[in-house]
Amino acid sequence: MRYPVLLFFPLSELWRTLLTSGIGVLTLVGIMVRPFRWNESQIAMGGAAVLLLLGLVRPGDAALTLLRDWNTFLFFLGMMTLSALAETAGLFDWLAVQAARLAAASAARLFLNVFILGTLITMIFSNDATALILTPIVYVLVTRLRLPVLPYLFACTFIADTASFLLPISNPINIIVMSRFPLPLPTFLRLLLLPCLVVIAINLAVFCLLYRRQLKGTFDINHMPTLSQAVKHRPYFRYTLGVLALVAPSYVLASAFQFPLSVVAAAGAALLLAGGLCWKRTTLLETGKGVSWSIFGFIAGMFVVVRAVEDTGLTVKLGNLLLHLSGGTRFGAVLAGTLGSALGTNLINNVPMAVVMNSALGSVQHATPALRNGFVAATMLGCDLGPNLTTVGSLATILWLLILRQRKLEVSGLDYFKVGLLVTPLMLLAGACTIWLCL
Amino acid sequence: MRILGCLDGTNVEPVSRAARMFAGAEPLTIGLLTVMDVGPRKDIDRTRERFWRPALHRQSVIQDMLAAESEASQDILKAGLERWPDAEPLLRQGYPELEIVNTAADWNADVILVCPRSEYGAPPSLGPHSVGHVARFVLDHAPCPVMLVRPPAAGRQAEAGGTGPRPRAGNPPG
Repeated sequence: MRYPVLLFFPLSELWRTLLTSGIGVLTLVGIMVRPFRWNESQIAMGGAAVLLLLGLVRPGDAALTLLRDWNTFLFFLGMMTLSALAETAGLFDWLAVQAARLAAASAARLFLNVFILGTLITMIFSNDATALILTPIVYVLVTRLRLPVLPYLFACTFIADTASFLLPISNPINIIVMSRFPLPLPTFLRLLLLPCLVVIAINLAVFCLLYRRQLKGTFDINHMPTLSQAVKHRPYFRYTLGVLALVAPSYVLASAFQFPLSVVAAAGAALLLAGGLCWKRTTLLETGKGVSWSIFGFIAGMFVVVRAVEDTGLTVKLGNLLLHLSGGTRFGAVLAGTLGSALGTNLINNVPMAVVMNSALGSVQHATPALRNGFVAATMLGCDLGPNLTTVGSLATILWLLILRQRKLEVSGLDYFKVGLLVTPLMLLAGACTIWLCL
Repeated sequence: MRILGCLDGTNVEPVSRAARMFAGAEPLTIGLLTVMDVGPRKDIDRTRERFWRPALHRQSVIQDMLAAESEASQDILKAGLERWPDAEPLLRQGYPELEIVNTAADWNADVILVCPRSEYGAPPSLGPHSVGHVARFVLDHAPCPVMLVRPPAAGRQAEAGGTGPRPRAGNPPG
């Protein structure tokens, strides 16, 4: 069969496959290396544009792929808006002050409270809110309390990923994976709740051991900010609490009835936005700044690139390789899925890896339900937890930091890598074993 | 003589005590240095990059962070000045290890007083890894002599033979 390229030149299937996979690989390498500090979304969209221009993916197919994944796009939008508006209401500041109050001046108890708070925020708002909004708030709090900053920052950054598979909404990656392989809520909880609790316990235990010296002290409660400092506008704060009290159970109900989670997130965000505009606590422009618009281009580009590569049969081969590596056993499936996605996530970031795995797992559709569920749960585990290895970015970032250190420049980002290297393989292994036991 | 004491909020006492050892030197100028560490802020920005977000943009968040850092640094210097009222307070912003070395050069320090690491409640220890990365960098790169100020508890432990190195069998001390 011959395909038109640029509407002029016919191309054999072999050349078409080579060209498509070449562009796909170049796009992924570009995302990994980010030459000239190009934005990932520019690279992903560039790859998709080249494929479309060369006629290697049909515009209709690309549009259909993007429309089919509307739930993912809307969820990202709703989730980011919800978090940004909850931040405007002072919710996260208020929660951080409460965590400090409940710590009764003990540095160790505050550390535990930050872990618990991070877990709860990740569970309801997704990992995004914990890593991006809670972290600076905790930084300000512990600096004011004259406590060592690093253990608390590590706690926030790590727990954002570690608690990412408590619920489907705890990480957008779960939404991407489940858009292709929907799991009923009871199955999701059966497969991933216990593993998540296990890895949270491991994370906490290792960190308590690592930072036992820094956490021995106490803090002066006089340095603690007051609750009124945290909440700037009481009515909007109460309104936000009310909306979230509706949104949280709605998420659970929507998951249980397989209702699109993006609709709940978007409705919650719309309610908060309406309140914020009404009380003049925010503007559309200010709220828009809290949303990462480039991520939509990035995801859209990745969806189109992977769609084109999928047509060449390459991702099926990756799926078959994973199936072969699993040896057809449940344990093998969980291990291959976890390690494969965790490794890929550190190479090319977790969103593209989840999209690639989604396509690759198409070849395990005909496997037994237990094997298929094992692969799906392991993909979420690997893509959610894997980033903890190189928390400050991908392996490319780490290599860059290592080069800087060789040039005798002290770089703190490497501290994250050292801790990640120590704790993440342990958590991945424990998580995978627990999923296997739950299958 | 110009002595540069590096304060981190947990070491005012040992650094002051070490500075007193130079009390006989004439003329004596003491500089008390504290550094607002930019490392955590850069880490936060790097995390944001991983989530496809630009560097921190909310002015209120940035102001809160800077205010907390500045408040903590001023407190540290205040505690140092209570012990050495005539000392010159030096507040810098950057990576602590680099700022200490650069300030020592700019300020023409004759000696740097630095503690092995910040101690937050736990008793100080001797032995491997007892010198943190900041002190290690200063020891490696300082343009003048460096006095590593061990907190007193570590000294006592060493005297008692607690965690200090023991002479090997068959290898007479001295």
